[in-house]
Amino acid sequence: MPRIVLPGDKLADKPLRIDNATLEDGKSYATVPGLFDDEKESFIPLESVWYPRMEDSVIGIVEDARNGVYTVALNSPFKGLIITRRDSNGPELEVGDVVESIVRSVKRESDKIILILVRPRNLHEGKVITVKPSKVLRIIGKANTMIKLLTEGTKSNIVVGMNGIVWIKGGNVPLAVTAINRIQAEAHVAGLTERITTMLKESQ
Amino acid sequence: MQVKVNNREYISGLLGKGTRETTRGFSDYRKIGLTLGALPQAEGSAMADMGDTKVLAGVKLGVGTPLQDKPGEGTLITSTELLPMASPRYETGPPSPDAIEFARVVDRGIRAANIIDTKALFIEEDKVWNVFVDIYVLNYDGNLFDAGTLAAMSAILTAKQPRFEDGAAIRDNGLSRIKTNGKIVTSCTFGKLDGHVLLDPDGNEEDMMSSRVTIANDEGAIRAMQKGLRGAFSVEEVEKAIDVTFERSKELRSIVKKVIGE
Amino acid sequence: MTTEKPQLVTNGKRVDGRGLDELRPIKIEAGILKNADGSAYLEWGSNKIMVGVYGPREAFPKHVQDPERAIVKCRYAMAPFSSLEEHGRSGPNRRAVEISKVTKEVFENVILLERFPGCEIDIFIEVLQSDGGTRAAGITAAAVALASSGIPMRDIPYAVSVGKDGENLLLDLNKLEDNTSDADMPIAIAPRNNDVLLLQMDGTLTKDEFARGVSMALKAGEHIVALQRAAIGSKYRKE
Repeated sequence: MPRIVLPGDKLADKPLRIDNATLEDGKSYATVPGLFDDEKESFIPLESVWYPRMEDSVIGIVEDARNGVYTVALNSPFKGLIITRRDSNGPELEVGDVVESIVRSVKRESDKIILILVRPRNLHEGKVITVKPSKVLRIIGKANTMIKLLTEGTKSNIVVGMNGIVWIKGGNVPLAVTAINRIQAEAHVAGLTERITTMLKESQ
Repeated sequence: MQVKVNNREYISGLLGKGTRETTRGFSDYRKIGLTLGALPQAEGSAMADMGDTKVLAGVKLGVGTPLQDKPGEGTLITSTELLPMASPRYETGPPSPDAIEFARVVDRGIRAANIIDTKALFIEEDKVWNVFVDIYVLNYDGNLFDAGTLAAMSAILTAKQPRFEDGAAIRDNGLSRIKTNGKIVTSCTFGKLDGHVLLDPDGNEEDMMSSRVTIANDEGAIRAMQKGLRGAFSVEEVEKAIDVTFERSKELRSIVKKVIGE
Repeated sequence: MTTEKPQLVTNGKRVDGRGLDELRPIKIEAGILKNADGSAYLEWGSNKIMVGVYGPREAFPKHVQDPERAIVKCRYAMAPFSSLEEHGRSGPNRRAVEISKVTKEVFENVILLERFPGCEIDIFIEVLQSDGGTRAAGITAAAVALASSGIPMRDIPYAVSVGKDGENLLLDLNKLEDNTSDADMPIAIAPRNNDVLLLQMDGTLTKDEFARGVSMALKAGEHIVALQRAAIGSKYRKE
């Protein structure tokens, strides 16, 4: 059974390969609230800052557009960069546009970290909400089960960025927002899928 | 860490269909909460919630010298703080023009309606009570003016009058409330987006609105008005807003009356 | 006006009825502000404190950016209506600037800053009502706000003050005691290894009194830590 741990709690008397752990004198300690399974040595963060990985699908807002180079705000400490070639047939982006893209690489510039983003797709007219990055996997669900449930129950088009930005268009947008907020609030309580199923059914 | 989300197209789409987020109408408020007396060390205090906007008003009375042109009266001094914890857009530093306008609009309605009996604040020659009202914005989601007026009004109406003894203010038990004229001033703020005039604009709507108008009133009359931002209103739009204000302010006053115990 | 020192301890009881090593009642709630990345509201006796934290976000202005690690910014401020006495002046005074600095240094010790080069983490502490010991209360609340926001930390620090009146050491001075005691020593601790992260002292203290004071603070820390953990963990408990 996993146990709830908070920053500073000892996870193991040995080094563990866990992002949300810190090592001191050969022992591992939690750095964020999470669920730790002592047997499997697995850690599920209950709160965390999104830390980018290659191939993460993200949603951002275009902040700056100059000569085909776009700066994208990502609900993250780090900015994204989309670099388009003049001859490419990628979308024309404007400041304020909501754009979905893929993290190609995480670059350490002289003074900060920058994410190179590729395959941009402009998302129009939807509603954008932010969620906790630690809840994104729960909103998507194992093998996309939860996101399928949401899409079918609301008839909305929903795109979830790993960075905690969600775009919702069409169908019952307010219901989709309520359901996503409920998933965030109850992510750690068993039987979530059943409760969301019931909620979506009752709201139809 | 947070991005400024952009919901322009979505909100425009809703307005085109005659609705808003959380399906409220153009002349509806969000959920309003009002609690009194969270800070017993202040003479008066009130917390107002309007949707996710959260403001706290604190009232202190202090002994000071009267203004030269009004030697027999105390004064009302209203200030606001747009706390940096309230929004990523607020920064630390001296009050911004937005914060100063906010304080002056709230102050104007309460002052114009003569809510506080400033003559009753006279102590002795060259000594009066000054009434300090400080409005703290704890969380921003639009329409600070109406939330601020609601909190300030409720804090003033329930503020205790300290005693003046041996040259000092005494704050003990059994003090009565400061003398007010029995009226209640509230304000209604409207934003204009895509040609629609909306009561109680939230943060997303404020980002999109081209113009804003605030109307403060009591039971009898309009007491203060303030038009803001670059855009314009037609005279008819303002007249319609006044009608909505007189209608909706009944609810606001009843919320105030309920919490102050009248 | 009298300047005579009131008697702070009578028959082992203090002016507010507490024992010498007794804390005032403490209540902590996490996550009440919608916009902030983390927040906490704390009541500690008559102290009422709101904390909001933001970040990590890009450090601004650019010249303050550190290419090796995130920087911490802290603002501690007292509301002009916070005191039982006169209306205060708004904006941080020299005292508030100093408290902001030592508070910032507490959190620079525990946050894993090296994971966020070029970024800043902002801690905003607003004292809405004050009754002595607000810096300790602010640190205790800020730790809860940071931990519940998911900003990675080595530990969750707490703080408390120990004072002295004649022969007696007093835990957690209130305003009246603070004004007239013979010494006041706020201290912040990382509970995992009892590292001292903040230490200030004002008054007269012997080495022995210092040692006894610290052990008093550490004992009180067990209770404060339990309250902090309950506030952070409350939303994860299964109903």
